Amino acid sequence: MKKLMTLAAAAALLASMNVSAEVKAGATLVDQGMMDGRTYHKKFYKKDNCKVCHGTDTPSFRPADDACLKCHKVDKLAKKTVRKDEEELWQNPHNNLHYGKEVPCTECHGEHEAKAPMCNDCHTFKFDKHKN
Amino acid sequence: MSNVNQLGRRNFIKGLGAAGAVMAAPALATSVSAEGVKWDETVEIAIIGSGFAGLAAGIEASRQGCKSVTIFEKMPVFGGNSAINGGLFAAPRTPMQKEKGVDDSVERMVSDQLKAGRGVADEALLRHVASHAMEALQMTMDAGAVFHPYLQQLGGHSVPRTYQTTVSCGAGITQPLLRECRKVGVNMVSRTKFDGFIVDEAGKVVGVKLKKGYYFGEEDTGEAINVRATRGVIMATGGFAQNVDLRMAQDPTLTAEVGCTNAKGATGEGMFEMFRLGAIPVHMAHIQSGPWASPDEGGFGYVSNYSIFNFPHSIAVNRMTGKRFMNEIADRKTRADAELSCRDAKGEALPPIMITSYEHANQHPNCKKVLKYGVGWKFDSLEALAKHFDVPLKALEAQVEEYNGYVKSGVDEQFGKNMGKAKGKYLKAPFTVVRLWPKVHYCQGGVQTNTKAEVKDSFTGKRIEGLYAAGEVAGGMHGVSRLGSCSIPDCMVMGMTAARSIMGA
Repeated sequence: MKKLMTLAAAAALLASMNVSAEVKAGATLVDQGMMDGRTYHKKFYKKDNCKVCHGTDTPSFRPADDACLKCHKVDKLAKKTVRKDEEELWQNPHNNLHYGKEVPCTECHGEHEAKAPMCNDCHTFKFDKHKN
Repeated sequence: MSNVNQLGRRNFIKGLGAAGAVMAAPALATSVSAEGVKWDETVEIAIIGSGFAGLAAGIEASRQGCKSVTIFEKMPVFGGNSAINGGLFAAPRTPMQKEKGVDDSVERMVSDQLKAGRGVADEALLRHVASHAMEALQMTMDAGAVFHPYLQQLGGHSVPRTYQTTVSCGAGITQPLLRECRKVGVNMVSRTKFDGFIVDEAGKVVGVKLKKGYYFGEEDTGEAINVRATRGVIMATGGFAQNVDLRMAQDPTLTAEVGCTNAKGATGEGMFEMFRLGAIPVHMAHIQSGPWASPDEGGFGYVSNYSIFNFPHSIAVNRMTGKRFMNEIADRKTRADAELSCRDAKGEALPPIMITSYEHANQHPNCKKVLKYGVGWKFDSLEALAKHFDVPLKALEAQVEEYNGYVKSGVDEQFGKNMGKAKGKYLKAPFTVVRLWPKVHYCQGGVQTNTKAEVKDSFTGKRIEGLYAAGEVAGGMHGVSRLGSCSIPDCMVMGMTAARSIMGA
């Protein structure tokens, strides 16, 4: 098959995201014993408290979309990630143009794996502080 | 023939052997008999898909007195492709047209669309949509949508009739409609994939099979549930631009090389299931690619609107030759094919470049953005431009000089481009440049429907009871080419129509 320009471009983008992910994964995604997890969730791993996100200590599937929201408030996050530039107003990942404040957290943030911002499926925005 | 045995027909299809195997390839579930089914939920109306059509249907159903209507969406977010489109809404006899003194009518809009449809558009459907477009526009405004204070006249339209949201995006409509849905009591459920129809012994659609807790791209996720729909099912599942196999089956030029402006979920399964029930496929090969798209960003991005604005006074250049290769304002298909033909010495894709004088490019708000986000470039000379994109400089210089001659004379002797809009707009430094590569944008094809949004059965020639379809999943309305800004009115009006048909309005 002929060279896939779109795929090549996507691969280049993915490669750069992987590099970024590596750096950030090194920062917050660490071995917690039973599995990898976030440094800021360390206390849950110490107590084997899977229930905090999964709703059960013997999880067989991923947590509900609203699990994160029990501790993290999207309105506060939206204020925290407000874009200063008027032109970039709607590039706020927690209150964005297309979906408002309703993107499930796990679309962009992984607990046991690194994830990339969903916005970058189409855009080339900079999310320097993204916790992957 | 009357009283078609749906389940018997499916056995007939299975008996085809190889054909059945081919049909099974997409690994889709099949419709099942309602006999003995255990219902997990019951609603009056089940709407599949949360774009313009689904949202409009939900609101209208509620307004028409429906007590229990649910919109099911397979993706984690609502809005589908509607949430990422350009937010351009064409309608005749609108308040802004009256204010601006624009003389327009249903007949005039339909006439423009029939011309674009090249003789195979569905006049009855077009007239129906144009007749109710103002109602749909009003629904968006009532819900809180805000539009630019000016009308636009897009390609193929004979008068200015296009509104655009102030955020230049369909989300300027989907977000207000989503809020309105919740306000009027429409239940919104995401991560729930449609898996097939449930039909009774008479062949009527009485419910749907869904996978609740579905994660897109992970086909083993989700728990199977059966939802009964006592009044009807509205399919508002959008187009199939993201389905490379299907689009290549219709148009072999649309390989995976060709990108896509659509949201990831636009894969066409809902349409497939309707075909299994007996729906008639129409115009499946009429797939519209955007020649204005860029390989440097995903989806529609910023370059698309930038290019649409600048094509009239720019040149598109093949990087191998340094020469133009097309009329930059020819129809979309002609340009898309011309772009796809730009190859390097090994025959691999070599996206052409569009060269514009910065002076003119800067008139569009996206110019700043394409430069800022690295999907466009600015050069002070042809030398710098040619070096950056590895274009033969002498040939390029000769081409620019030749083209400026056409600007002056008003006649494009190379490709017959209408130079009217390029008058006085000479190519001169500094230049802005974007790369061009087509993306599949809209599928004119889908299931055949009528002006009541009913789905026609290929065996009986009558409607499939209990089943309605609205928006891009339906086919035939637009013919060969859909005019820009005519999709939102189509989706919303037909969504509203489906609701009205079900509720007997």
